[in-house]
Amino acid sequence: MIHWTVLLAAEAAASEGGGGLFDLDATLPLMAIQFLLLMVALNAVFYKPLGKSIDDRDNYIRTTQAEAKERLEQTKRLTQQYETELASTRRQSQAVIAEAQAAAQKIAAERVAQAQQEAQAQREQVQVELDQQKAEALASLEQQVGALSQQILDKLLEAKA
Amino acid sequence: MDMLNDLITIQHFPLAELEVGHHLYWQIGSLKLHGQVFLTSWFVIAALVTISVLATRNVQMVPSGVQNLMEYALEFIRDLAKGQIGEKDYRPWVPFIGTLFLFIFVSNWGGALIPWKLVALPEGELAAPTSDINTTVALALLTSLAYFYAGFSKKGLGYFGNYVQPVAFMLPFKIIEDFTKPLSLSFRLFGNILADELVVGVLVLLVPLFVPLPVMALGLFTSAIQALIFATLAAAYIGEAMEEHGEEHE
Repeated sequence: MIHWTVLLAAEAAASEGGGGLFDLDATLPLMAIQFLLLMVALNAVFYKPLGKSIDDRDNYIRTTQAEAKERLEQTKRLTQQYETELASTRRQSQAVIAEAQAAAQKIAAERVAQAQQEAQAQREQVQVELDQQKAEALASLEQQVGALSQQILDKLLEAKA
Repeated sequence: MDMLNDLITIQHFPLAELEVGHHLYWQIGSLKLHGQVFLTSWFVIAALVTISVLATRNVQMVPSGVQNLMEYALEFIRDLAKGQIGEKDYRPWVPFIGTLFLFIFVSNWGGALIPWKLVALPEGELAAPTSDINTTVALALLTSLAYFYAGFSKKGLGYFGNYVQPVAFMLPFKIIEDFTKPLSLSFRLFGNILADELVVGVLVLLVPLFVPLPVMALGLFTSAIQALIFATLAAAYIGEAMEEHGEEHE
């Protein structure tokens, strides 16, 4: 059995009874038992702990993701709320501004009208005073004209006489 | 026979030697064991347990290093089992299918990557445990037991209903299937791994440098694929045994 040729070895070994390729013996059941023991051992040190770790991580990721989604939703809702509030506030403020502008304009117009009226009144008063003084002046001037013309007349008469 | 004689003359080539069908026998009582298979399988088991302990010694929420690697492996196994058995029932079968995959995978790659032949044994040589028919038959029979157990625990005696699905005519074929399943499982794995080792061995014998490298790379690929196939088929058989047949079909 020193031949290494495959076919010969296989056939010869099988016929010889000891050794050979297809030599089934107690290795088989012992290997099966050994395999089962390996399975139990790996279940304890590999499948269970690492499986638990993977499942835990999955759970953690799932819950965290759900939480984050919820928060995002909430944030979106808040943003929308704030935006509507902002819009209404802006509209309100514009209305207030418009109102204030209108009021101011009205007041300004009133003041201007009042001032104009006052000015008109003063002017008229001044006009009246002026007319009066003018009339007075004219009257006194007329008197003086009479006196002066008397004087002139007197002087002329004196000179002639 | 000329070719054989030629080959026999090369056999005295000093670099490498190939042995097939030689075993290191251990005698326990009246039981005979293949010692070289147990030696390498213990190595594989030790490697698996060690890396698992390293991975789970300090489990972190954010995995890194060994934990990351092993979590990747576990997710892969879970996906495999989930795909074949279904979302509802796959969880209890993850250890079985996962251990099948990891044991076969590490055995195959260990056999291909570790220079076992450097360790001289009185008889036989160290190789992947999966290149011994005993190992593969043991795994295949366990798979058969597993799917029978799955079927009976799920449906009780109603499991026998599977044999006449979808028509009673299928009965003989389904019974034959129960024998061919472990047979094909064990011989596929055994044949592929042994053939790969033999091809590499023969090439190393003929041309000891560089030429065997592509075949070795191919062997690594085959080894991984075989582990995946074995685990996938085991899961598929278990899933098939637990599959619900609608009442309206009866």
